[in-house]
Parts: sequence; C-alpha cells; structure tokens
Amino acid sequence: MAALEVRGLRKQFGGVVALNGVDLDIDTDRVVGIVGPNGSGKTTLFNVVTGVHPATGGTVSWQGQDITNIGAHRIARMRLVRTFQQAMSFPGLTVDENVRIAWEQGRKSGGRWASPGMILDFVGLAPLGKAIAGSLPFGSLRRLGLAVALGVSPELLLLDEPGAGLNDSEAQAFAAVIAQLPPQGIGVCLIDHDMDMMSELCDRLIVLDFGTKIAEGPPAEVLADPKVREVYLGPDKKVGAS
Amino acid sequence: MPMTDNSAGKVGAAPEGARARDRLALLTADNASVPLPAGVQAITAILLAALLIALPWLGLGYRFLSIAITTLYTAIGLYGLGLQFGQAGIMSVGHAALMGVGAYASAILSVQLGLGFWTSLPFAMVLSAIVGGVIGLPTLRVGGQHYIIITFCFCALFVIVLTNGGTFTGSATGLDVGSVTPLPGINFDKLSNNYYLVLAALFLALAATYLIGISRYGRTLRAIRENEQLARSVGINVDLHKLGVLMVSGLFAGLAGVLQLYYLRHISPTLFGAFPSLYLALMVMLGGARYLYGPLIGAVIVNFLPEVLNLDPVDSRIAYGVCLLLVILLLPGGVGAGIKNIYCALAGGFDKQGGGSNGRA
Repeated sequence: MAALEVRGLRKQFGGVVALNGVDLDIDTDRVVGIVGPNGSGKTTLFNVVTGVHPATGGTVSWQGQDITNIGAHRIARMRLVRTFQQAMSFPGLTVDENVRIAWEQGRKSGGRWASPGMILDFVGLAPLGKAIAGSLPFGSLRRLGLAVALGVSPELLLLDEPGAGLNDSEAQAFAAVIAQLPPQGIGVCLIDHDMDMMSELCDRLIVLDFGTKIAEGPPAEVLADPKVREVYLGPDKKVGAS
Repeated sequence: MPMTDNSAGKVGAAPEGARARDRLALLTADNASVPLPAGVQAITAILLAALLIALPWLGLGYRFLSIAITTLYTAIGLYGLGLQFGQAGIMSVGHAALMGVGAYASAILSVQLGLGFWTSLPFAMVLSAIVGGVIGLPTLRVGGQHYIIITFCFCALFVIVLTNGGTFTGSATGLDVGSVTPLPGINFDKLSNNYYLVLAALFLALAATYLIGISRYGRTLRAIRENEQLARSVGINVDLHKLGVLMVSGLFAGLAGVLQLYYLRHISPTLFGAFPSLYLALMVMLGGARYLYGPLIGAVIVNFLPEVLNLDPVDSRIAYGVCLLLVILLLPGGVGAGIKNIYCALAGGFDKQGGGSNGRA
C-alpha cells in the first residue's frame, strides 16, 4: 500500500472539470514527477490533495487514513506538506522567524529537526537568517519556501514548480537539494516543466492532460510514449531526455 | 556543498549592500521580529513605569490627572485592538462597542444584582470576550475591509439596542453605578487611587502584550497576518486562532470598559458609538499597532492633543484627521515605528563606523 493513495479524484470549478477521476499511488522513498501542459490540473491536484480546495468527488488517503476534505492545517500536521507555485513566505518577518514558525508546528508531534537553524543550514540560507523574507532575492525566496515546508518535518513533500523563475545554476543547486531528501525519509512529489531536470531527478513520471492521467512510469519510457509526446511536447519535438 | 546560495555569495562580496539591506530590514520589521537590545528595552520599561507611577505627585492638577486616567483605560482597550490588528492583522472600527459590552455588563450587574466592581469585572470581561468571538465569526469568511464594515455595523447596532433597552440599559440616559468597592485602606473615591487602579491594569495589559509578542502564540498570529494560506499549509489552525485573538482582544476591551464605567460612574450609549470607535482605530494607527508602546503613545497623543493645543471638539477632530493623514503618508507604522526608525538610524550609524572599517581591513 502506498503512503498517498488518490482514487477517482474529481474537481469541478463551475463548468470546468479540472480533475477528471485521477488515480495516484505515491510512496515516500523516491522522487515522483508530475508533468503536463498548462491547465492540465497539476496544481489543482496538489490543492485538492492538501485540502486547499474541497474535492468534488473521489478520495485521498494518507498512511491509511481518509484525508479527503479535512482541512489544510490538519493535513499539514499529518506531515503531508506542500509548497506553492508563487514562492510564498511570511514577507514581513525575518528568515529565522519564517522557519521557526513552521518548525514549531512540526515539533508538536516530534519533528526531525533539533532547531530551525539546522533547516537553514540544510537549504543554504544560514547567512541570511536576520534578513526580512520580503527583501530576499527570488532564488533565496524559493529556498525559504522549501525551508518553511521542511520545517513541518514532512514525510511527503509536494513541490509545485520549485524551479520556476530560477536561472540554470540556481535550478541545478535546487535540484541537488531535492535529490538529498528521499534518502533522509522525505518523499518528494514534484511539478515542473523542465524536462531535463525532471528526467534526471525523478524515479517515476506521471503525465496529466485535461485532468486525466495519460501515462505513468520511468521517465525514459514515459517520454518516449507517443501519446505523451503529442499532448505535451508536441508531435514534432525531440525528447530532451536520454 | 551543492547548495551554496548565490545570493549569500553576493552578500559576502558586497558588504555595503548587505548592511543597507539589513538596515532596511530593521526599519520594516515589527518590534518582536527584530527586537531592540534587551538593555534598551529594560531601561525604557523602567523609565516609563517610574514616570507613570510618579505622575500624581508631580502636581499637574486634577484636570491633568483626569485626562491621564482616560488615556490609560483607553490604552488598555487599545492593547487588545493592537493585538488583533498589529499581530494578527484583523482591524476593527467598532472596538468602542466591545468596551461598551464590558461597561454595560458591569453596570447592569450592579443595578440589577448589586454586584460591585471586583465581582462584576470577571463576568464583564468574559462577556466581552464572547461577544468579540461572535462578531469575529464573519472573519472566517471575509477579511480586510469587509470585516471592518461588519465591525462598524455591530457598533451601530449596539448603540441602537442600548438606546431602546428601556430601564434595563437606561435607554439614551444610560446607567449610574457607585464607586469602586474599597480595598482595605484604599478608597477609590480619591482620584489618585483611581489612577493607580487603572495604572495597575495597564501594567497587566502591557505585560500580557509583551509576553504574547515574544511567545510562540505571537509568532503564530504574525504568521496568519503575513500569509494566511502559508500559515494553513504549515499546520496552523487559522480559523481557531483568529477567533481566539478576537476573544483575547475582547478581554482587554472588557477590562477597559469596566474601568471606564467606574471612573465616570455614569455611562450612556454615545460613549460606545461610531465616533469613539473611530478614535480608537485612529489611536492605534497613530501610535503603531505592532509596537509595545504604540497603543499607549496613540492614546496619549489623541487624549492630550486638544488640551495641549487648546482645541474645541470640532477643531480637534480636524486635527486628528490631519494627524492620521500625516502618519499614513510619512510613518505607515505609526509613531512607534518612527521612534524605532530614529533609534535604528542612530545605532546603525555607530554600526557603520565600526563595521565598515572592519570589513575593509
């Protein structure tokens, strides 16, 4: 049984069907990537799984418990934590305080970090502890978003486009941090458009299109799938992986 | 390590820019986020406490002391408003009504059941807290300006209910109470003793505000103020904390209301209507809701301004309006922020002299 099990998940915004019966099994010992064209329902999937939006139908279960529509803060407390597409922080507070807030929540039921400083060290933000989050350059803000999520001591981390807006070297450094997570017992489920990075980083890829899962498997296999190449990469493009 | 931060590298390469950013950080941060040195905080607290305790002995006269009492009980109510607005980011322009709930609860308990100051105080505070929480229920659905309008409506409604409450609320005339039940050896009919009673309550409010500010609870409230969605996603029960802080704010308001009642000995609905509520909002913005002494500074400015400048009520309203515009334009964080900016500029200047040469050596 996988840690996160999604069954027949549906989400409708008025007449728009954002998720149309998605099934997923995600374990906490690897990096799983979710790809798909804009509007294919990737972020909506995260939002519904983490309780930001209520599901229209279907179920989400985490470590054997039904967590469908139970409220975002309760899901976070069960160590299923997500980041946001728009690098989010508590902008008026210091970097230290940002991480401390999350760390204090994670510590309530025994967190993995002895102090917030350890998290800052891990993501490489320790020198900026006294800076105000709102004044950080974008690359550091992305790291802070990750640090805040890690502060809750997640067992599965859902990262929504962590590389968006980063330059190449920043994105590579970020990917290196992400790759260190599964060996420490933090599973990662990742949305991104950078196919090179995704095929390098992910053990498994899931492709969404119009709210439906159209392919799943090892990156090389999935990216070679003609159906995937047609909807996502376009019929003429070469696949960058391999 | 693969996770060396580019921006951190830049900071190391350009210490000048980093210091400028640090200083900017100090200016934009609130008190609890970048605390002043403990020594400065302690000295400020001791000087302020000494001044407030010595005030009745400075021979400033009966009128001065009366205004001082008004200032202090208003400040107690403002500390509640400062907590909900400054820390949790929930503004209210109906806060006088919440003080009125405490004042009327105490007055009605006195008239109907003969309860005195000390026995009615806890009931009044708890009732204010409950009402604060109930008015807070809409914050779970709407935020910002929409909630402000709801608090304003509550305030208007409260005055209508009081004015039409017959003998129970005393209608437009209001209610009278006796004086504060004397403690052994202390008679609160004496103005200076009443002052010390209110001052003791103010010290409690200050201590509570300080402790909340530095605690995990305070940090949780600031997280909600800064980013509600992120707060939820790290596991904070945002709805519960919003209602909670409004109830704590209600406790402060109830205390302030009862002190107001027993100082004036007579209350009427107009004391808790739209204008007093707007004055409270004005005071907390003038003083700076996020700063420990902000609400007190705001209360002092608004209560003493007409006295110092010798203004009649209409002129003083104009003066308040001008003050508010000036603060919004020049000092968005209030006078508290201004004082801290000056301190940081001075301290930063010293730091620059020392740190700059070290950096270049």
